[in-house]
Amino acid sequence: MTQFTRSAPPPPPLHPNGVGLCLAMDASKPSLYRSRPWPGLPVSSESLGSLNSVNCMEQLLVQCANAIESNDATLAQQILWVLNNIAPPDGDSNQRLTSAFLRALIARASKTGSCKMLTAVAARADADLALHVHRFSVIDLASFIDLTPWHRFGYTAANAAIAEAVEGVPAIHIVDLTTTHCMQMPTLIDLLANRPEGPPLIRLTVPSLTTTAPPPPMLDMSYDELGSRLVNFARSRNVAMEFMVIPSDPSDAFDSLIEQLRVQRLVSEDEVVIVNCQMLLHYIPEETVGAIATTMSVNSPTLSLRKMFLEALRGLEPTLVTVVDEDADFTESDLVGRLRSAFNYLWIPYDTVDTFLPRGSERRRWYEAGVRWKIENVIAQEGLQRVERVEPKGRWAQRMRAAGFRSAGFTEEAAAEVKSMLDEHAAGWGLKKEEEELVLTWKGHNVVFAAAWVPC
Amino acid sequence: MKREHQETEAGGGGGYHVATAGDMTGAKGKMTAGPSMGTEDDDCGVDELLAALGYKVRSSEMADVAQKLEQLEVAMASTAAAASDDASVLPQIASDTVHYDPSDLATWLDSMLSELNAPPPPLPPPPPVAASVHHHHHRFDVSTASAVSEPPAITTVAPLRPSDAYDFKPVPAPAAASGGRVVYGLDPQSEMIVSPRDQKRKRTCSPSSSSSRGAEAGRARGSRTEGASSAKPAAAVPVVVVDTQESGIRLVHALMACAEAVQQENLKAADALVKHISVLAASQDGPMRKVAGYFAAAIARRIYRRRPLSQVDRALDSPALDDLLHGHFYESCPYLKFAHFTANQAILEAFSSCRRVHVIDFGMRQGLQWPALLQALALRPEGPPSLRLTGIGPPQSDHSDALQQVGWKLAMLAKSIGVDFRYRGFVASSLADLESRMLLERDGNEGDRDDEGEEEAVAVNSVMELHRLLARTGALEKVLRMVLAVRPRIVTVVEEEANHNGGTFLDRFTEALHYYSSMFDSLEGSGGQAAEAGEEEQQQHRAMAEAYLGRQICNVVACEGAERTERHETLGQWRGRMARAGFEPAHLGSNAFKQASMLLALYAGGDGFRVEETDGCLTLGWHTRPLIATSAWRVSAAATR
Repeated sequence: MTQFTRSAPPPPPLHPNGVGLCLAMDASKPSLYRSRPWPGLPVSSESLGSLNSVNCMEQLLVQCANAIESNDATLAQQILWVLNNIAPPDGDSNQRLTSAFLRALIARASKTGSCKMLTAVAARADADLALHVHRFSVIDLASFIDLTPWHRFGYTAANAAIAEAVEGVPAIHIVDLTTTHCMQMPTLIDLLANRPEGPPLIRLTVPSLTTTAPPPPMLDMSYDELGSRLVNFARSRNVAMEFMVIPSDPSDAFDSLIEQLRVQRLVSEDEVVIVNCQMLLHYIPEETVGAIATTMSVNSPTLSLRKMFLEALRGLEPTLVTVVDEDADFTESDLVGRLRSAFNYLWIPYDTVDTFLPRGSERRRWYEAGVRWKIENVIAQEGLQRVERVEPKGRWAQRMRAAGFRSAGFTEEAAAEVKSMLDEHAAGWGLKKEEEELVLTWKGHNVVFAAAWVPC
Repeated sequence: MKREHQETEAGGGGGYHVATAGDMTGAKGKMTAGPSMGTEDDDCGVDELLAALGYKVRSSEMADVAQKLEQLEVAMASTAAAASDDASVLPQIASDTVHYDPSDLATWLDSMLSELNAPPPPLPPPPPVAASVHHHHHRFDVSTASAVSEPPAITTVAPLRPSDAYDFKPVPAPAAASGGRVVYGLDPQSEMIVSPRDQKRKRTCSPSSSSSRGAEAGRARGSRTEGASSAKPAAAVPVVVVDTQESGIRLVHALMACAEAVQQENLKAADALVKHISVLAASQDGPMRKVAGYFAAAIARRIYRRRPLSQVDRALDSPALDDLLHGHFYESCPYLKFAHFTANQAILEAFSSCRRVHVIDFGMRQGLQWPALLQALALRPEGPPSLRLTGIGPPQSDHSDALQQVGWKLAMLAKSIGVDFRYRGFVASSLADLESRMLLERDGNEGDRDDEGEEEAVAVNSVMELHRLLARTGALEKVLRMVLAVRPRIVTVVEEEANHNGGTFLDRFTEALHYYSSMFDSLEGSGGQAAEAGEEEQQQHRAMAEAYLGRQICNVVACEGAERTERHETLGQWRGRMARAGFEPAHLGSNAFKQASMLLALYAGGDGFRVEETDGCLTLGWHTRPLIATSAWRVSAAATR
């Protein structure tokens, strides 16, 4: 016998205190139903109230991260299933963004397990990622970087500030701290070669990262080779240049590099030192890494490698320190906080890529693999392996001031340089000045900041 | 706070108490499901495992019961040995077998012990409690070999020596005996201890060999036993220390022998064996003990023909309790999740680019399958469709509208994620009671096409429902005709991958024993997944999941006819049935395979789970044994015409 139940029942009374309907209904029926009626997905209309699919995806990722962190396998599986279906890795920019976070969450979940199948999944994901981390030739990398203002903005702003700071100086020592393998230097050399008073002597010192898995992009040649190319390039511009590579690593605050620079400072006092920090400082561990402080066996328990490094820089009495980095915060210890913050920043590279690289192109794959590398590092890694510890510009400014620097700001000419560079790129890019710093924006959102600091 | 669910039935005596999940924080892992009858207090702490087996033992009495079991075992052995010529030594076993219902284990043990104690037999001192149930090494006095030969009119089984386990056969007896006895005696030739490895091999005895043994047993019936008397004298038989694995094998063999006896309708032998099994099972640990316990309970139920169903049984049959246990089964292992993911994958893909979709769920239960699909539909690239869900479920014993409440919750989820959603619940005791036009019926203002003339895309989803229809002749055919008539775009079918619906009782028993042994094994294996997130909770889920499977075991083993609803059949058999009904396979994509593998890899816990793809169907198994299968179907071209 069947019994028909009406399909459009009247709305149940809302609980007077406004607590969810489910609660009210459960209370009304002392039933056998479990206290968590949906081991499924969040029912709260608050959390998924917005119909904006990007918000929904962010919410699902957050719920998934929570489920993974609290070992709620059922919920994690359900959300992973949903995300897998709504975020194809070759979908639109939001889907690709979500897919990258999803993979990062899977990688995280698989690292905590001990199952063989799991390690296989993780290994496959790693291999997949490694496969897409391309090794560039110098020429390819230069044009690759020129595709977007992401790095060019910092190059342009820093070059303008450096050129101004070394006006009339006959010998300069540039310390280039960058992930982009001195791609800024040819332009700077060119700039200095053409200055009215004639080119200076240039000493260029770069650290070659000793870490086993350096962040992309990767170069297909050694730094010695790169150095000789740069020296040749300088010679072609009638600039005398010395190139020095110091194996060093952000994980110990570039200890060996700093040592080397101190020695150098003693032997050539008349050199003007310029430190150009292009998106490399955030690889120096900050305070939340915690555990290293004890292994470094330094007496202060509140040791901060970033503080230590900036103070060491200050001790070199540099004429100028340029600091360029991504204006975001990936340092929260809490996974969900970090996920939210990374999700609300790293949509930008996915959103911009359509403006400069066609779908399916090889370079686009390389580009997105670089972004995925970041996401994976922020989400799936912990401790010293989590190197993408980006901090917002305000915090860097605090650190610089605490180390004994003051902001030098940028001239109108520098800003104009940057603006004309941005004109070569898509309309969404913009420039704004916040306090004394220059900020690159995409559709009004802060992307990268550039700051110039001099000793107090 | 304790909530009670008081069933109100016309008879008034049918009230029962079931602790809800929320109550279990206090008494962890305890679920009381006993007859209240106005006398029983609520939190009586009846041991949940034994309770699930139909034994009512208070936790406080567990040690006592265990000790008595131990005593009984020893007593049975020694008494039999001491009085090998006394026909009345085991009068309970001899004459009262059929009347004994072991539901009340403690009382039964008491009576057994009192029988054995008076006139005072040489009972050994009771062993310490600690040495009873959880002991890995169990001492069996095997001096009983000679004893079993004598007592006339007794059907019994001696506690087995290890050698019995693999050489268990009826011993033909001289003609002088009175009728009605079979003795599973000992083969004196096989005294040596076989390594566990060998025993393991032997354990997987084929049905044919066991049935031939059954036939021998049948021939042996009614003839006098003499084999045992030709065995070595009691004194010469050494006391053997048996490890759990060994006694596990004996347990399996005892179960098989018992099933054989049942098949031969030798209920006396079966009765003795089933009691022996309880004793053997108590010496086991882990999944084997549990699975044997459920099988013993089920076969006991068959032997004692506990029908009509008692109030306890009726309470246990409540769909609400079934849903509760189902929920725990869902949580504690990957089978149902696998079922939902794979079926949802097929449905989601079949609905791709459809603007109006309709899912007909043959087993709504608590709707666990649908939040994920709703969410995926809400966020699919082409935008959410308008979704109709028809949920079918059994009438609730308390006449509550569980279906409607599930629909409500789903409607709220749908609203919060912006999916146009309509829900309809059908209460039906059997799917065969439904008609296709009911399923397709619409509210008055709805047309069957939308403004642009797009027809509604229908998916029919059945997760472990179709096999129930095999209990009624023609029911499955009728339902499949109905499915055909709703012209579904996709039909998703998940079924247990086993044949529990063919051959003899013994075949079914053997198959089920293997199937559920793997299941229980895997439950243990999937425990790792939430180890950090509350061992207690996981234990509780597992115990309830075991009870869920235990009910199936009970149905497979103890029920017949229309009552036997757990008529699982294999994928191959379903293929045949679906093809004959006018369906052709719709391959589950590699996407579904990858997803299922990934999700399992992440959270299945053990390494034992395997997803396999065979001819477009997906199975999930434990090690080499597939245990559930998902298949997808569409109306075949021939049937469309």
